[in-house]
Amino acid sequence: MKTSVRENRLLVVSDVHMGNSLHRTRRAFTDFVQFALDHRYSICINGDGIDLAQLSLSHLVSDITPSLSLFLKFGENDLRIYYTVGNHDIALEHFLADVGRMRVLPFLSVASGDQRIRIEHGHMYDDMFLRFPRIYFTFTMIGRIAIGISPGFYDALHRFNNAFVAFSEWGLSGFGLFKKKEVPNENWIAGERECFREGAEASGSRGFDAVIFGHTHFPGTATLAEGVKYYNTGAWFGDPYCAAIDDGRIWFGSVAELIKGDPFPMTTSDIVASITGMHPIPRRSADRLHLADGAVAAGR
Amino acid sequence: MKVTRQHEIQKFADGETIFNEGESSSEMFVVRTGRIEISKHVGGHSMRLAVLERGSFFGEMSLLEGLPRSATARAIGNVSLLVLRPGSLLLQIRRDPTFAFELLQQLSGRIRELNEKLVVKMATAEFGNRLARSAFMLNAAAEYQRDSDRPPVSQ
Repeated sequence: MKTSVRENRLLVVSDVHMGNSLHRTRRAFTDFVQFALDHRYSICINGDGIDLAQLSLSHLVSDITPSLSLFLKFGENDLRIYYTVGNHDIALEHFLADVGRMRVLPFLSVASGDQRIRIEHGHMYDDMFLRFPRIYFTFTMIGRIAIGISPGFYDALHRFNNAFVAFSEWGLSGFGLFKKKEVPNENWIAGERECFREGAEASGSRGFDAVIFGHTHFPGTATLAEGVKYYNTGAWFGDPYCAAIDDGRIWFGSVAELIKGDPFPMTTSDIVASITGMHPIPRRSADRLHLADGAVAAGR
Repeated sequence: MKVTRQHEIQKFADGETIFNEGESSSEMFVVRTGRIEISKHVGGHSMRLAVLERGSFFGEMSLLEGLPRSATARAIGNVSLLVLRPGSLLLQIRRDPTFAFELLQQLSGRIRELNEKLVVKMATAEFGNRLARSAFMLNAAAEYQRDSDRPPVSQ
């Protein structure tokens, strides 16, 4: 299993939750995959791509079928699909392997340009998931039943769940008596709990320039200690977000914005070179050729 | 040296020594920026064992086994290192469980590389032995031939 890769062009999305009847942006996901293919990006589905925990088989089939044929074309175009495992598809940890062009991984370290980027789903830093796995699992299962009743009922239950988590954290801190008064941090994503910042800082401290998480469904960016950039690509239940990586540069925005225009457009020669594997002669080499032929190189 | 909320970071200039072979210390390091040369004294000469890039770790033998440093580490370019002592290693693993996975992954890779080198060395040694044996046999055969072609002393 190779968890460290070099990718010059990569799109990262998380929490697509295919197979969950709350996955309301089925069409947008197909458009996203088609965009990646057209603009020669590999893609990373950063956890909870297939919602095995709250799966409806009929939804999964209708969600995934339009994208499957496109996934096959990634191999034909020498592009890859990375799938990092999340908490809703944790069963896929049994299948950590390279399956053709698809790589199922626990996390991914990407070298792009001179940057090192860490991509993880982020559930391993979730206090509730780690401390109370049974309660977490029970809530997931209750959510599954709620989705079966109605998506609106699930939304209400989800709000109750968030309130319960907040109440538990308050209780664990000694009902607020022993908790230091938190100063509102403008450089942090609204709604994102502190445990994710700590996890991203611990992970980022090991020589990464950027850390990309999903899991919390709160899209946004922040700067961590030592200047490490943090991105959370949110979820596909609402307006999906995405991180686009090109030669070490990172663009962050909604998938709708991305599809409107590639933030890192490729030149025709770049596209030809990436398809054929033949790189155009660099300008400097061309100059040398001209000089060897005795041509005037002045002005260059 | 700088200690942030969670991490101890050490910075070194190009060519600076991080630790010397034979020294006693119990930290391990993770390369945050720059590169590290690992070398060892063999027969009075310094032999470069490896050059480590960002994200690699070194010094784990002293931390895990409490033994003196088995090699010398030197900075290539400006280097920033994450320093882990026994306590902070456990804390790092708790805060960042994937670190344990990567630690094992890199150690496994190093064992595989050593095995491959060992196999090549053993194969080379075996080939050398066979070559020496063949040379000896050829030499003995040539001498025997020479001896048998030599006219008897009595003639």
